[in-house]
Amino acid sequence: MIVGHVRGHGHTLPNPDEHSKSHWFGRLDSRAKIVGVFSFVIVSALLTSAELIAASLVLAVAMATTSGIPLRPLSKAYAAALPFIVLASLSVFLFAGTERGLEMLGRTSACVVALLVLAFGTGTFDLFAGMRRLRVPSVISTLLMLTYRYILVVSEEFSRMRTARRARGFRGGRSLLDRYALKILSFTAGTVLVRSTDRAELVYEGLKCRGFSGDITVWRTSVLGRNDLAFLAVLIMSSCALALAQTEVMRW
Amino acid sequence: MVVLELRKVGYSYEDGTVALKDVDLAIEEGEKVAIVGPNGAGKSTLLHLIAGFRMPFQGEALVSGKRLSAPTADEIRNSIGLLFQDPDDQIFMPTVEEDVAFGPRNLKLGDIEDRVQRGMTSVGVASLAKRAPHRLSYGMKKRVAIAGLLAMDPNLLLLDEPTSGLDPRSRSELIKLLKSLKRTMLIATHDLEAASEIVDWAIVLNVEPVMKGTMHDLVRSSDVLEKTGLEMPPLPRIFRALEKRGYAIEALPLTTDQASAELTRLIDREATHVRRRMNGSH
Repeated sequence: MIVGHVRGHGHTLPNPDEHSKSHWFGRLDSRAKIVGVFSFVIVSALLTSAELIAASLVLAVAMATTSGIPLRPLSKAYAAALPFIVLASLSVFLFAGTERGLEMLGRTSACVVALLVLAFGTGTFDLFAGMRRLRVPSVISTLLMLTYRYILVVSEEFSRMRTARRARGFRGGRSLLDRYALKILSFTAGTVLVRSTDRAELVYEGLKCRGFSGDITVWRTSVLGRNDLAFLAVLIMSSCALALAQTEVMRW
Repeated sequence: MVVLELRKVGYSYEDGTVALKDVDLAIEEGEKVAIVGPNGAGKSTLLHLIAGFRMPFQGEALVSGKRLSAPTADEIRNSIGLLFQDPDDQIFMPTVEEDVAFGPRNLKLGDIEDRVQRGMTSVGVASLAKRAPHRLSYGMKKRVAIAGLLAMDPNLLLLDEPTSGLDPRSRSELIKLLKSLKRTMLIATHDLEAASEIVDWAIVLNVEPVMKGTMHDLVRSSDVLEKTGLEMPPLPRIFRALEKRGYAIEALPLTTDQASAELTRLIDREATHVRRRMNGSH
């Protein structure tokens, strides 16, 4: 009866974490993923040799394709990030030449792809909980958790207000020159801000009512299994190999 | 044992607006009490004040014998369960069971597994343990919020408009649930029908207390209802109309059970009356 009742009130908002456990990468312990991916990203960001950058890019793409994460959303996210990656590489293209520019493009892409795999393959709360378990200061992980939690609530509020605006005939907002539309949109933003402030106060009271003392940790914690350790070992060894090869290149 | 005692409690906002004035109230252990009143009557403010969020205030408030003040607020709050009007303001964790465990873990209470199970089972959300609470319906979120409070085993439950925003089915399910909970409760509501089903007695608040009594007393006081802008629930309204048409109503019913009993009595009386008249005419 309860399940039916819940379904009867089905929400239409997409849940970004919905499929995060449906593939092997998603089932890995978030700590293993964070440590593995970040060590890979740090090493990749420091590579200077074109061959090694190409190798790191191949590794990142291999991780993306074998992770089991649907490739369509991953590619879309990468496409969205691409203009920024190109923009970041543009100055290098202009001032240091094509070769250096391409290296910058490859290096940034390898890092972005690896981070996208981490983001798409891990539930948001799992990611923050993993960070906390890795001794990231509670003020950071707790703020991130609460921010994510209430971004969903505020975005629902925003979407309700957008519907209300449309229901009352508002069709503006497509042009920056439409001053009336800009005025209405700024009022909406202001209202959301005021509501968010009020809500923040209530959320604080809600936290205090439940004994909150500055730290949110997850109750059901996992232990690192064989798969987690194997994944971590592969990424750490790959990163070490890249780092060693890079030092060799620098020595020559 | 008196769980909550308020003596001449008053509170004004920073801009000088008086939100509460001279509120006296005493709730015994196990009692369920409603604060009814129109919007802006100070109902939510009173609940938040009892939970130690409106300081400083005038008068004296004692929760389980402890005097409420800034230094004791945290300790007192730990023995109180406050249900917010919007459950989204008090659900923080990624899954239902994590959220129910949130309070007991913060308070370092023992036997968390058992508390979480009991909390979820008592409000009927045990089957949703692994679900993300922010994806549930509004009514279910309210249940999850209540489960979170029950897991903390509070001496006093403060419920702010528990039935607001619920569809009829969720509303009646929640009323049934609150009725079945053996807890000391103070419920702020303007839903007189729901209050009639749940509470033992009520206090009518319009910044200051207007009257105190049972829900029967309240629905009988049409001047109080009119003064405070409260609306009589449909059931007593129907029976009031029958009374005005000359039918003898013993007590204005507040619940469907009371209404069917009153209606049966009324039909019996009328049938006897008609039979007597017919016998007389023969």
